[in-house]
Amino acid sequence: MKVDDKYFDEIFDFAGQWDMPSKCGLKIIKKEDVTVIITTELYQDNPGTSITYAGGSLIRQICDAKGLDPLHIIYVECNPNTNSKLSFYDEELFRVDFRLEDGTPTDLKYTQLSQDEIKNLL
Amino acid sequence: MKRDPDTIKLKLIYPKWKKLPGQTTFNLPPHGPVVYAATLPEYVEVSFTDENVEELNFDEPCDLVAISMMLSTQVKRGWAIADEYRRRGKQVMFGGISTMLHAEETLLHADCVTLGEAEGRQEQIFDDWRKGQLKKVYNFMGKQPPIELVGPARRDLYKRELYNHKGVQMVDLFHASRGCRFSCYPCAVSYLGGRCFRPRPIEKAIEELETIDNNRLFIVDNSLAQDTQWEMDLFREMIPLKKKWISHTIEDKPEVLDLAAQAGAWYVYQAVYDTSDYIKERVKRYHDYGIGVEGTILLGLDNQTEDDILRLIDFLLKIDLDLAEFTVLAPFPHTKAYDDLMRQGRIFDHDWDHYNAGQVVYQPKHMSPERLQELYEYAWKSFYHDETQEEKMFKLFTNVVLREMEDGTYRPRDRKLANKTFGKTVDRTASKTNLF
Repeated sequence: MKVDDKYFDEIFDFAGQWDMPSKCGLKIIKKEDVTVIITTELYQDNPGTSITYAGGSLIRQICDAKGLDPLHIIYVECNPNTNSKLSFYDEELFRVDFRLEDGTPTDLKYTQLSQDEIKNLL
Repeated sequence: MKRDPDTIKLKLIYPKWKKLPGQTTFNLPPHGPVVYAATLPEYVEVSFTDENVEELNFDEPCDLVAISMMLSTQVKRGWAIADEYRRRGKQVMFGGISTMLHAEETLLHADCVTLGEAEGRQEQIFDDWRKGQLKKVYNFMGKQPPIELVGPARRDLYKRELYNHKGVQMVDLFHASRGCRFSCYPCAVSYLGGRCFRPRPIEKAIEELETIDNNRLFIVDNSLAQDTQWEMDLFREMIPLKKKWISHTIEDKPEVLDLAAQAGAWYVYQAVYDTSDYIKERVKRYHDYGIGVEGTILLGLDNQTEDDILRLIDFLLKIDLDLAEFTVLAPFPHTKAYDDLMRQGRIFDHDWDHYNAGQVVYQPKHMSPERLQELYEYAWKSFYHDETQEEKMFKLFTNVVLREMEDGTYRPRDRKLANKTFGKTVDRTASKTNLF
């Protein structure tokens, strides 16, 4: 299952559930007033927790590592295209909104992005 | 008799769960608890209770309690058992697959939760317990022990007569590998056992197979079809043992299927996910080698409309399956199915007792939950309309008996247990067919 790499520039190592060593694709786009973070699920190349299950903890880890303020980011999760025959593995991107609780994003809400919305973000 | 002060008496429990209505229930001897028991230090004396076949006696003396759980539908019962023991002042440890999937909630009912594989870790845990320093969590996730350390499982702990149906001994469970390199949509195995396939050394697997006092096995590995050379070597070495076995998918290559048949492949679980000629031919190829096929059919995926499901059910009746098992999608934690449905806010039932793959707990994409539930029930009824599940199973059973008679491994029924089913006296009026 080959993951399409069009939404990432680097592999980000993070501590998953129960500190499981985990990996995701990461792209950071700095805009004038906001920073867009896109994480990509790597499936077989991620030995640990999925980006969705890691959720708020992953957002905090990326912000800590990259010196970003979680209050000034747009966070997007990408399920990449894998060229699978099964539609569950088609490309989908979700904007994730959240509130902060003790510095950790919580109460995550997912909104699927259209192709136009993805273009605008990039 | 005076008790050795160094001995720790461990009560090991496998909690019961509610079986799906309308389906033939066979209680197989559970694998996880006896694999765990094999990892315990010699000074640990184990008393094992599988609650599915016998009552748990909370008054049985013990120093410590361990609860091993495999299914999500077991966890609430496991927690209730732990609560009762802790009320009585006993410390309770948890481990196993569903402990790992539901670890955070399980912690609320536990003195200790062990995550990850047990081999090579137990001395440390029991030392800590002796010192009164048992940790709340022993986290071995992602740190798999050397695969050579695995087995043989402690099958001596089974009360064999409880895994017997009218004199016929149930299959024994066995595993030849851990981990999985596939990321299947509804499956959590890659989270639990890692995304690397870790085959056991052939000689270790064979050594364990030789110790099993049962000619009929279920090889429970998710997929043996992950390393062709190893798979063929395993089958080749199994031939002299003359075991007969059930497994999941076998690699679709003539040389592999031929060796599997020689090694005693009885029938396989084969996923049937569409109505293609490929599936039809796949089933036929198994049959060409004398291997039976139980189709496993997962209903409720996002790419299935009502018409697709109805077409699939019709298709199953035409492809000469020996058995079929229908399930509805259950979004277990740490699966892609869970991630997708959770993101979309489609999971409406979070009661783990309902995660039995027979009850709809989420909003399907193309129909109502009630309609999917109806289609699931319709699928069972349609497939077994002309020939019951018990009749079809009896045919498969006859096949294996004939093969055993040919190679001299057949063991007649145990007549002493002819009137017992899983430890209970048979109700001869309950079944119309009564084939077994």
